[in-house]
Amino acid sequence: MSAEVTTRRESAVSRGVTWVDNLGYRLQRLPLHIVIIIICAVWIIPTVGMVINSFRSIGDMNSAGWWTTLFPPHGFTLASYQQVLAIEEVPTSILYSILITIPATVIQLTIATMGAYAFAWMRFPGRNLFFIVIVGLMVVPIQMTLIPVLQIFKFLHVNGTILSVWLAHSGYGLPFEVFLLRNYLGGLPREIFESAEVDGAGHSVRFLRIAVPMTVPAIASLTIFVFLGIWNDLLVALAFLGVSAFRPFTVVITGLVTSQGGGWQYLTAAAVLQMALPLAVFIFLQRYFVRGITSGSVKG
Amino acid sequence: MDQIITAVVAVVGVPLVLLGYIILGERIIERLSDRIRAWIRPYFWALPAVGFATVFMVYPMLRTVVISFRNSGDSEWVGLANYIYFFTFPDTLTALRNSLLWLVFYTGFAVLLGLIIAILVDRVRYESLAKIAIFLPVPISAVAASIIWKFMFDYQPPGAPQTGTLNAVLGVFHHDPVPWLVDSTTNNPALIFVGIWTAVGFCMVIISASLKAISTEVLEAARIDGANEFQIVRLVVTPLLWPTITVVGTTMLINALKTFDIVYVMTNGAYDTDVIATRMFSQMQSAHYGRAAAVGVVLFIAIVPLLIVNIRRFQQQEEQR
Amino acid sequence: MAEVLARLSSRAIALGLGTLLLVAACSSGGGGGGGGGASTTDVTVWTAWGGAELKAFRDVLAPFTQKTGIKVHVTTNRDSTNQIANGIAAGTDLPDIAPGPTDPVQVKDWVSKGALKPLETVLGASFQSYVSNTYPALTTAPGGASDDPYIGIIGGKHYEMMVKTQVKGLIWYNKKVFTGTAPKSFDDLLAINPKQYNAQSLFCAGFESGAASGWPASDQIDNIIMRQSGDQVYTNWIQGKVKFSSPEIKLGYETFLKEVSDQNVFGGRNTALSTNFGKAGDPLFKSPAGCLFLEQATFITAFFQQDFPSLNLKAGTDFDFFAHPSVNSQFDGNVNGFYDNFAMYNDTPAARQLMQYMSTADAQQIWANDGGTLGAIKSLNYTDPVFKRAADIAGSAKNLLVTAGDFMPNDMQKAFWQSLLNVTRDPGSLNAQLAHLDQVQAASYKSA
Repeated sequence: MSAEVTTRRESAVSRGVTWVDNLGYRLQRLPLHIVIIIICAVWIIPTVGMVINSFRSIGDMNSAGWWTTLFPPHGFTLASYQQVLAIEEVPTSILYSILITIPATVIQLTIATMGAYAFAWMRFPGRNLFFIVIVGLMVVPIQMTLIPVLQIFKFLHVNGTILSVWLAHSGYGLPFEVFLLRNYLGGLPREIFESAEVDGAGHSVRFLRIAVPMTVPAIASLTIFVFLGIWNDLLVALAFLGVSAFRPFTVVITGLVTSQGGGWQYLTAAAVLQMALPLAVFIFLQRYFVRGITSGSVKG
Repeated sequence: MDQIITAVVAVVGVPLVLLGYIILGERIIERLSDRIRAWIRPYFWALPAVGFATVFMVYPMLRTVVISFRNSGDSEWVGLANYIYFFTFPDTLTALRNSLLWLVFYTGFAVLLGLIIAILVDRVRYESLAKIAIFLPVPISAVAASIIWKFMFDYQPPGAPQTGTLNAVLGVFHHDPVPWLVDSTTNNPALIFVGIWTAVGFCMVIISASLKAISTEVLEAARIDGANEFQIVRLVVTPLLWPTITVVGTTMLINALKTFDIVYVMTNGAYDTDVIATRMFSQMQSAHYGRAAAVGVVLFIAIVPLLIVNIRRFQQQEEQR
Repeated sequence: MAEVLARLSSRAIALGLGTLLLVAACSSGGGGGGGGGASTTDVTVWTAWGGAELKAFRDVLAPFTQKTGIKVHVTTNRDSTNQIANGIAAGTDLPDIAPGPTDPVQVKDWVSKGALKPLETVLGASFQSYVSNTYPALTTAPGGASDDPYIGIIGGKHYEMMVKTQVKGLIWYNKKVFTGTAPKSFDDLLAINPKQYNAQSLFCAGFESGAASGWPASDQIDNIIMRQSGDQVYTNWIQGKVKFSSPEIKLGYETFLKEVSDQNVFGGRNTALSTNFGKAGDPLFKSPAGCLFLEQATFITAFFQQDFPSLNLKAGTDFDFFAHPSVNSQFDGNVNGFYDNFAMYNDTPAARQLMQYMSTADAQQIWANDGGTLGAIKSLNYTDPVFKRAADIAGSAKNLLVTAGDFMPNDMQKAFWQSLLNVTRDPGSLNAQLAHLDQVQAASYKSA
């Protein structure tokens, strides 16, 4: 994964050091490992607790902490998962969630990259004002925008269609993406663009062959958060798809809990299922988080 | 089935349409006279993004501004009454104080920890594994997070076996259980910690992506010059990361101002844990749209100076590159 | 990747524009699917129900769909009032059937905008039998008033059809622990010595409920106030016409504080504040018992049973309840109820059919069979002895009164619930809390 680290270590070894030096090097790095491991442990314990509890009964959860299950008698049960999977709509709702999330992610990232390129590499009157307004609007809660956006969708005759949520998510997600990508694109070295311009490359070529490839790590990391935001959304789905037949997973799992809050324990299993796909996406995209991608593409 | 086809078409089609837009548009622009070209090109590139933002954010925001001067039935103008309500109502003071705590501690710790972790894990072989651990809370929805932390903060009477992780740990040290979310000295820090817990993964991933963009040569050169790792981080890496830290920090500040989910699902502001967004939500739920809108406008105005700092930052970046 | 992209150029343009058209065509064509409109075969219903409630609702719907062929699309939507308000404001599609709003101003507003359809026309010929079969308190405004937005009556017409009820303020106990007789008055209740029955404390309490924390405490004070100062004060208080600092409401708070004092509640006040209402009753069934009583609504039985699967708790034999004891005998017969309603937002033949079906005893009997709730119809048969008695209480109530917080403006409700948490934590802060509530009251009802 981390090519940089391995080369560093190899070079340390190849400098002709003895195993004693090597041990010294390892000992010197021991605090680093300890710190990392402690932070990681603190960070995963709450989630581990929930995952374990998703395999327990409500009676057990109420009377003893999750760690007690690690010792016999374990009392594991699949009841929560059975409860979630017993809902007929679960498979279709997961499909709908995917159908909502992937296109919405692609649409907004494509548009955002293009917009960010303009903000980073072109000068035009009102550029800073546009930028402040767009990014500043991130602070406005989505609830405040629902009525006007519903009106616009009504005018466009897209209410209740899957297209409406794609558009809505794209609109709500764009400010943040433009903001973040402008930073990355703006940080690229000027010489590369200038030499390309000298070679006669127009903006389309510079954007597609230089800017986009060099921003891949940023786009990859952004993809995760955009994906996640849409995947976990309940508000937009209810607002724009409420009366339609599309019910994404987030909507369906609210039906696990009674109006008095009974059955909340099943949400542990639902949460585990819900986080599986974004986590898989994260793990998959990690390959783009390594050093060297940017420099590689400049040479190629 | 129809939906799947539509989705596939959208996934493939939208980038292609934009590609077509770029290439076709650029071809047309290339043929224009120099002056028109220089004028029209930036707008051509920014148009899709600006257009979307206008429809979904700018237009609704303008409407919000109008509503903030109207009564809750939207039937008459009330001048500054909604703003006066916000600034004079006693509950606002608590909410402002708490939002300030969130701004400082949530933003500070999330960005700092994100930075530290990104730099640390960059140096170990099991980087991707460590990153997964830190990222783990990110995909968890607020509702699920509240359940997770219910198991952490749970409270049983002193002497009874504790079911909450934290109080069980305290029990090991023979300390009385703490009602984390009830006690006014612990509840805000507890909620803010939950916020940090979910946010560090974000900061780490974004900062790490920038870190990976720092070329190996720069770092090697510093090492050859005899700099130790701390010096490299302090003098080489951190300055190069500044633009990203600013961006991540700004995002976190905005998130801190907007903080809603965690406070809402866990306490809904009980025991003096209210923040601005939960107050605003409650006004919205009460159909006091004017008051909620006024809060929205205040938040937007509060954020502008922050964005000017960002613009300055970008301008510096443009001069340096 | 970049090279591939660049080579695509002109072909991409053609393809891109082609797909654009295709997307537009697909999305406008295939998008609709089961939405609103005057359908004769589909009905869209929004409800706050989930879990066992949702299953029971589907059980109720099954014979309907079988008989009529009408498909009912049910969505659990706990944000439905806001969503419908947005839909009304924007003029977009609404669900065919969903609960009516709780805010009295909103009820009137939606009626005036024609969003809510009167039951008199929806139910047609069966309207009279609906009114005569249902608990009178849910269909008739007190004193024959033409407006009672709390039960959806505006201008003499009914806009909310009652389908379910729960009785609140019942005092639950473990029959193996509490073997005495039900106390006659609230003072008698407080005078019971738990040690006599080998229980640690008199009451169990659990006020935590996430975003709605404090509501269980509000049920307790509601049941005190309506029996202590009467339905008139109670109703005026809900409407913001009686101040929180008024002697009646203050007395209610003080009585509530006696009930939940540090000595009276299991584990002390921090336990009451930190414990989720769903598991608040657990100590009833521990041995030795943690407490003698838990005050809660009818639905709590499901929580008892799920928390102790191994004890196989049976209603009526293992646990039981007695009705809330009298506080001031002058106001006996005031009962706190909770009810679910259906309101119709789109007047379609299929939606009408479903409304008519839901108003019948045949439909509501299925709730009663599934357990966990009362129907809104008086004459249902309950096999569960606990619900049978609860139905009697609802049926014989002089006034079936709503839950106060649910019908206050949201910011008032929030402040009210949280004030109960605050005074439980710090009884000394009562006067300051009441003064603050007066302030919220003055601000939150004002521009309505």
